[in-house]
Amino acid sequence: MIRAHTLTKRYNGTTALDQLALEIPQGAVFGILGPNGAGKTTFLRIVMGFVLPTAGTIDRGGLAPANIGYLPERAFYPLRFTIRSYLDTMAKLAGLTGEPRHYEVARLLHQVGLSGVADQRLGTCSRGMLQRVGLAQSLLGDPDLLVLDEPVLGLDPAGQVFMREQIAGLDRAGKTVLLSSHHLDEVTRVCSHVAVLSQGRLVRSGPLHSMLAPRARVVIDTGSIPSELAQQIGDRLSNTTVHEQQIVLDGEAVEHKPMILRLLLDQGVDIRQLSEVRSTLEEVFMEVTEK
Amino acid sequence: MKRIIALTSFLIRDLSRSLAGVVPLALALAFGLIAFEYGMDQAQFITVAGIGMGAICLVSGLVLASRANRASSYLVVARLHRRAEFLAALVLSSLLITAALGLVVAIVNLLAGRLTLDFPSALWVLPTWLPLWLLTATLALPLSGLVERSGSHLFGYALLAGLLIANDRQAFLSSHGLVWLARLVDAILWPMSTLVGEASAGIHGREYLLAWALTSAYALLLFVLATSLFEDKDLLWSE
Repeated sequence: MIRAHTLTKRYNGTTALDQLALEIPQGAVFGILGPNGAGKTTFLRIVMGFVLPTAGTIDRGGLAPANIGYLPERAFYPLRFTIRSYLDTMAKLAGLTGEPRHYEVARLLHQVGLSGVADQRLGTCSRGMLQRVGLAQSLLGDPDLLVLDEPVLGLDPAGQVFMREQIAGLDRAGKTVLLSSHHLDEVTRVCSHVAVLSQGRLVRSGPLHSMLAPRARVVIDTGSIPSELAQQIGDRLSNTTVHEQQIVLDGEAVEHKPMILRLLLDQGVDIRQLSEVRSTLEEVFMEVTEK
Repeated sequence: MKRIIALTSFLIRDLSRSLAGVVPLALALAFGLIAFEYGMDQAQFITVAGIGMGAICLVSGLVLASRANRASSYLVVARLHRRAEFLAALVLSSLLITAALGLVVAIVNLLAGRLTLDFPSALWVLPTWLPLWLLTATLALPLSGLVERSGSHLFGYALLAGLLIANDRQAFLSSHGLVWLARLVDAILWPMSTLVGEASAGIHGREYLLAWALTSAYALLLFVLATSLFEDKDLLWSE
């Protein structure tokens, strides 16, 4: 569990984080969202110990930063090293020695799909390959917590799918993953918890399912609706839109859902699908960051 | 210690594969050609090569620290238990590079007949140089952009330049009523000048040992200063 207590960070008078209070549960895949300059990277750097808070504290649940796997937003590497020799050096720094080190490097190369190009120089690797190298080095030493700063940034669709699968694998293994992202769709797919930052402040936080609460909108997909019935429904209820094969109930009209269903069934209209519309993360994001 | 050794190996390999790695190599080559042009005996070798290679050690330290002062170091620092390990690896790297270059310079000039060493007293050369090089390697840390805080390295450069100029102009200082300053500079530089002077004269007595210990203590103080500056510095390398 990571706890941030009223965390504040100022750089030369600019406030990057403003009294941030946040709890990251153990085993969660926790997404930090926010527009550019919201303080996401600053928060991750504080978690990693690269920058110190101006005020407030960070409790890493007894974990030292050295025992946290880290993938920066855009990792830079010594370009004349081969993938294998670089990972081998990082494995040494992670405290691995001898045969277990060689085994761990080989295992991670296989896991990230780089076994076949392990002796290629980092300077000749594509962005996607470098991101895989970054992920492999972050997994050295089997850390319980991983901090991934924009893990899918700049990746092609295949790279994004790969990264998503890796994060899902970490989730299944019970690891805690803290990631920042601009890709709301990606966050919706992989995260169990989300926090939204804006101008250094926490504006929304919680489990993803509670963030994407059902909205007061019901969509009924039907067979063809007789025009008299459509007019009858439209006249009787406000906030109701009747299309040729669909009825949309908004706001207070949702309460009349049973009555409308009865009407449709009495008239022999085929009901194909009934769906409650949930907020999208994009809508939540726009709502809380535009306040 | 294993992490420091692993990091030292990484830093040296990284430097040797970069263009910046040419800098200490070129300096050593120039030093080996120019300083030994008219030949050198052991006394001169201890003084001239000790100080000359010490300067190369300082430059090596600055080059290494400059390369370490970039975003690729995030992944390295993230693995360390204390940032002081990073500084220790930088110092060790500078020392090893200087030792290797010094050895090459000495062997080449020995083979070319431009250097004469008397054994076994020549075995005192390396123990004499070690604290000197340690001092210049640790001096590179607070002078580097990696460690500096709020322009503190500029203050360090000014102080170093002032000390060297004052040492060079001691007679001028004394004749202008600044005897105290001349004595202060003398006192500050006593360990290094005594260390080299005694070793050149082949004397390895109490004064030599005291100078050796004080020079090492200077290096330790500089390392502690660098660590205190770097340990809680915000690392904001651009990505």
